Amino acid sequence: MYRILILFALVACSGASPTPTGTTCADPDPITGTTTLTWDNFGHDFMFKYCTNCHSSTLPNSKRNGAPIYHDFDTLLGVLEVPDHIDEQTGWGPKAENNFMPGGGTNNRCPSVAGGSLDEDCPEPTGEERTNLAQWIACERLRSHDGSGSGSAN
Amino acid sequence: MRMASRIGVVIAVGLIASAAHADHHGMAMMGAADEPTEFDASVNLVAASYNTLTEAGDYEGILPSVGWRHDRYGVGASMGLYRIMLNGLDERGIGDLMVHADATVYSHEHTTAGVMMMVSVPTGEEIYGLGMGHPMVMPSLYGTWSAGRVTVNASAGFSRAIAQMEAGHDHGVWPLVEPMNMSEISWGAGCDVALGSGVHGTVRAGGGIPVGLIGHERVIGAARVGWGSGRVDTAVEVQTGLVGDPFTIRGLVETALHF
Repeated sequence: MYRILILFALVACSGASPTPTGTTCADPDPITGTTTLTWDNFGHDFMFKYCTNCHSSTLPNSKRNGAPIYHDFDTLLGVLEVPDHIDEQTGWGPKAENNFMPGGGTNNRCPSVAGGSLDEDCPEPTGEERTNLAQWIACERLRSHDGSGSGSAN
Repeated sequence: MRMASRIGVVIAVGLIASAAHADHHGMAMMGAADEPTEFDASVNLVAASYNTLTEAGDYEGILPSVGWRHDRYGVGASMGLYRIMLNGLDERGIGDLMVHADATVYSHEHTTAGVMMMVSVPTGEEIYGLGMGHPMVMPSLYGTWSAGRVTVNASAGFSRAIAQMEAGHDHGVWPLVEPMNMSEISWGAGCDVALGSGVHGTVRAGGGIPVGLIGHERVIGAARVGWGSGRVDTAVEVQTGLVGDPFTIRGLVETALHF
């Protein structure tokens, strides 16, 4: 019985799991549109460089290479649907450095075009980009948005 | 055949687990032993399509299982091997290992009742919907009542992940191949009718009610036809999700061999 309990403890504790980065936004959010991370100056380019070949609202289910439905990052509003997931799987912060995405679940293979086959190694965000992602998410989720699906409001 | 040889046959065919999943529970309960000591080896073939909150696709699997029963006590284990299409991603892998032990605590002319403890080990890949990602503990109670050709059975239990659960972190029921909540009351009820010549017809329902944290209620309905000859029992079952989105439709074919 003792060995069984040890086995269960090992299984339960093994493997890297999605972890909130603990990143917080400065209060007040010093948004300026030029010096602070926004969808327009950071989020859009990050998502279209690393994510939207699978995580896009334009892709049918059969072309998502496993990306969950409603996890679409081709618009700001799509990002704001699941900010915790993004932070926990890709962001770096004081409490965690998450490297699961991109490439998690596909052996680090990604499509080179939206909806394509897994034909190349996934582009890898730098540590700075992952840190910025967590910081942007932490602030962007607190901002008001106009519902247009693009751009940051104030 | 000597007992050791029988065990060897079981191992050789790779039947390492009994039908011990939440929504297969009703099927497992129908296979009662006729002898004081009995080994069972079975294989379930499963195919399903699903369309959940965030995932859509289909899967097929083969689920070997073994069980041993002596008098009032039984143990068993099972593990599935799956191919799953997950939002366009084609993956293959094993599911969670399920082990269980049960004991009949009351047996009278028409009525039996017992307890079961089921535990899952997270051997399946969570990200592909093949595993829960956490060990699960699933104690339950079951009872049967028979009269003539009819047997009615029911079960109820509590399922709980051995893991820290965050409020508001909702992935729906999981894993895709055996959906359940991380904390839920699971239940099942069925009615079996002996149709003659070893043929049985069964209708049953089962499901889960989330407890505590966020979750999703689910109910499945199933119809089954089984037939037996000698040491071999075979059954075909069709299931459908009635509440929630455990799956759209799922078919099972089970063949069990009793030693």
